[in-house]
Amino acid sequence: MQHIKTGVIFGVLAGLFTFLFGGWSVTMLGIFAGAGLGLALENKLERGTQLAKAKEALPVALVAGGLMVALSLFGNFVVQPATGKFTALNTIVVAANILGFIAMVGLAMLTASFRGLDEKKEKTAKTILLAAIVIAFPFIDVFMNLRWTSNIIFALIFVILGLGLNIVVGYAGLLNLGYAAFFAIGAYTTGILSSPQHDIFLNFWLVIWLAAGMAALWGFLLGAPTLPVRGDYLGIVTLGFGEIIPVIFKNLIDVTINEPLTCWIIPGIQRLFGATSTVACINLVSHMDLTAGEKGINPIGRPILFGYEFQSNNTTPWYFLIILIIMLTVFLIQRMYKSRLGRSWMAIREDELASAQMGIDPVKTKLAAFAIGAVFAGFAGAFYAAYIRAIFPSVFDFSASIIILCVVILGGIGNINGVIVGGLVIMTADRLFLPALKDFLKGLLDFTILPALSSNPGLQAAVSQNANPILYRFLLFGLTLVIMMRVRPEGLIPSAQMRAVLHADEEIEAVQNDESKKAKKG
Amino acid sequence: MLELKDVHTYYGNIHALKGISLTVNDGEIVTLIGSNGAGKSTTLRTIQGLNKPRTGTVTLDGVQLEKLPAHEIAGLGVAQSPEGRMIFPRMTVLENLEMGAYARKDLTSYKDDLEHVLALFPRLKERITQKGGTLSGGEQQMLAMGRALMAKPKILLLDEPSMGLAPLLVELIFDIIKQLNNEGTTILLVEQNALMALSIAHRGYVLQTGEIILSNTAEKLKNDEMVQKAYLGVE
Ligand SMILES: Nc1ncnc2c1ncn2[C@@H]1O[C@H](COP(=O)(O)OP(=O)(O)OP(=O)(O)O)[C@@H](O)[C@H]1O
Ligand SMILES: [Mg+2]
Repeated sequence: MQHIKTGVIFGVLAGLFTFLFGGWSVTMLGIFAGAGLGLALENKLERGTQLAKAKEALPVALVAGGLMVALSLFGNFVVQPATGKFTALNTIVVAANILGFIAMVGLAMLTASFRGLDEKKEKTAKTILLAAIVIAFPFIDVFMNLRWTSNIIFALIFVILGLGLNIVVGYAGLLNLGYAAFFAIGAYTTGILSSPQHDIFLNFWLVIWLAAGMAALWGFLLGAPTLPVRGDYLGIVTLGFGEIIPVIFKNLIDVTINEPLTCWIIPGIQRLFGATSTVACINLVSHMDLTAGEKGINPIGRPILFGYEFQSNNTTPWYFLIILIIMLTVFLIQRMYKSRLGRSWMAIREDELASAQMGIDPVKTKLAAFAIGAVFAGFAGAFYAAYIRAIFPSVFDFSASIIILCVVILGGIGNINGVIVGGLVIMTADRLFLPALKDFLKGLLDFTILPALSSNPGLQAAVSQNANPILYRFLLFGLTLVIMMRVRPEGLIPSAQMRAVLHADEEIEAVQNDESKKAKKG
Repeated sequence: MLELKDVHTYYGNIHALKGISLTVNDGEIVTLIGSNGAGKSTTLRTIQGLNKPRTGTVTLDGVQLEKLPAHEIAGLGVAQSPEGRMIFPRMTVLENLEMGAYARKDLTSYKDDLEHVLALFPRLKERITQKGGTLSGGEQQMLAMGRALMAKPKILLLDEPSMGLAPLLVELIFDIIKQLNNEGTTILLVEQNALMALSIAHRGYVLQTGEIILSNTAEKLKNDEMVQKAYLGVE
C-alpha cells in the first residue's frame, strides 16, 4: 500500500510535467520516472526472486503509468488548449502516450527486479541501466525534438562545479563563498587563449588543461595567505575574492605594463640628481585589451575531434564531452577521497588541532583542497567558454557562487551522488522547468486568464506583469533551501559521514540519556 | 632522549612555564606532578609543538623540536594522549585508531599493532564501528590512549590518562602503562593521582606555578615530606 503511494507520486509528478512540455515529453518522462520509480521501490523491497520482485512492482508501475498517461491526455485536450495550443488526437499523441506508458511500467518492473540479484550483480545492473539511459538520452531527445539536451548540458556543468566545491566544503569543511571565481578563471583562460581577441587559437584539448592549471594556481595563491584564517572569516575572504575576480575581468581592457628599469628606476635616479630623464621607457604591454570588458570575449574556439568541429546546433557531441569530463572528475575525486589526502581532509574537518597531533599538516591539507577544488572549476570554465562561445564577467558573479553552494548543500554535502543529483535537480529546474513554466503561464494568461479579467484593467496589468516565474528564481531558491534545511539538512542523498555530523548530537544525547538513566537506576 | 632546557612558554601575557628543564631517558617512565594550573599540560603541549616556547630548547635524540610545527614533531615519534582527549567525534573507533598511525612511515607491523591495542582495550574492540563522539567518557579516554599507541611513538606523552575512569579501570590503565614501558616505550606521565603515578614511575618532577621545585627518583619523592603534604594528602 505504501508502495502504491510512491507510484502515485511518480505518476502525478511526471503527468504534471507533461502539461509544460506537451508533445513527446510524456515518453521521455516515462523513461525517467519509470527508472526512478524502479530505483525507489528497489531500495524498499525485501530480497526475493527477480520474477517475484517484478510482479510486486507491477501494480505500482501500472498506477504510476496510468496516472501519468491520464494526466498527459488531460493536458493535451484540456490544459493545453487553455494556453492556446490546440492538439488533435493525432498519431504522435497516441504513440507518445503508449510508449510513455510502456516505458514507465517496463522500466519500473525491470529495475525493481534487480532486487532479485545478489548485491554485486544488483549494482552492476543498476550501473548498466543508468549508462543506457545516459547514452540514449540525447538521441531520443533529438528524435522527439524536445531540445532538452542543451539544458541538461548546463546542469552538467554545474554538476562538475558542485563536485569541485564539494572537495572544499564537504571534504575539508572550508567555507568558500567565491568559488565561481575559479570558474571564471577557467573560462577566461580559455577565452583568451582561443579567440580572435588576441589572435591566439590554441587547441581546446590543450586549453582545458591550461584552464585547470590556471584555476589551481589561483586557488593556491588565494589559499596560501588566507587559509590560516578560520571558519566564518574564511567565508568572508573568499566572498571578497569572488567579488573581485569578475570586476578585474571587467576592467582588464586597457592594460599597460611598463618595464620598471627604463621607466621608473633609471629616470628616478636621474631626477634625483636634477637631470631630466634621457632613457626611453620600454612598454612591455601597451594599451592591451585583455578581456574585452563587458562586451565579452567572442567567438571562442570550439573543440575539434578527428577533424570534426563541434557545432552549436548539434548538442550531442557536447553532451558526451561533458559526460566524459564528469566521469573523469568522479574517478579522480573517488581516488582522492580514499587516499591519505582524503583522510587528512576528514580529520581537518573534524578537529584541526588533533589532526596536527596526528602528523597532518593543516595548512598543506587545506591548500590542497582549495587548489584541487579549483581544478574542476577550471574544467567547467573551459567547457562553458567553448560551448557558449562567448563569456561575460557578469556570469560569474556572487549568485553563481551561491547556486553552486546550493547544489552541494541540496544534494548532500560530502556525497558524490548527492551532488550530481543536486546539480541536475537545481539546474534543470532553473533552465528547463522555470522557462517552460513561464511559457505555459504566459499562454494560459494571454489565452484564458487575461480575457477573463478584461473588466478590471488594473488587475489585468498587475497579473500579466508579475506572472513570470523567472522573476522569482532566487525567491524559489531561497525557499527551497530553507525548507531543505528544516526538513532534511543532510541533503537529498546524504553521505554517511554528514548524516553523522548533523545527527551526532542527537546520537550522543541519546547515549548520554541512556547512561544517566542507568546511573539513576543503579 | 628528551630534554627540555630552560623553557619559557606564554599564553599572551600569561607566563605559564617559567624556565622548565627536565630530561626523560630511554625506557623510563617520568612523571610530572603538580596542582591545578601548575603548567603540566602546557609542558606537554610545548613538547608537542602545540604551544611554542618563547625561549629555551626542546631536543629529542639530538633533534631540536621547539621551532618545528606540531605535525612534524608527530612525524619524529612524539605522540600524546591529550587532556580533553580530542578524539575525532564523527569517525569510528577504528578510523580514529587508523588516524593515530597517520604519521608512521613504517606500516609493516600495522596489523599487529592494531591487534595489540585492541587486546589492551577490549572495550574498544567491542565498539570498533561506533562513532568516537558517542563513546562514554572513559571509553574515549581509552581511545585517545590507543590512538597515541598506534603511532608507535618513541616517546608517549600521557596527560591524566586516569581522568574520568572508574577506580578499577584506573588500576588497569596503570597496569597498561607499566606493561607498555616493559615493552620498551618511553613515557612522560602527567597525573593528578600522584601516589599511583609515583608508584610506577622511575623518576618524577614537581611543578608549581610554572616552575620545577623538586626532582628526584619516584621512591624518594614518595617519601618526601613536602610532597606527601601537598600532593599525597598525607598529614
Ligand atoms: N589557552 C590558554 N590561554 C590562557 N591561559 C592558559 C591557556 N591554557 C592554560 N592557561 C594557563 O596556564 C597555566 C597552566 O595551565 P595548564 O593547563 O598547563 O595546567 P595543568 O598543570 O595542566 O593543570 P590541570 O591539573 O588543572 O590540568 C594556568 O594558569 C592556565 O590558566
Ligand atoms: Mg592539565
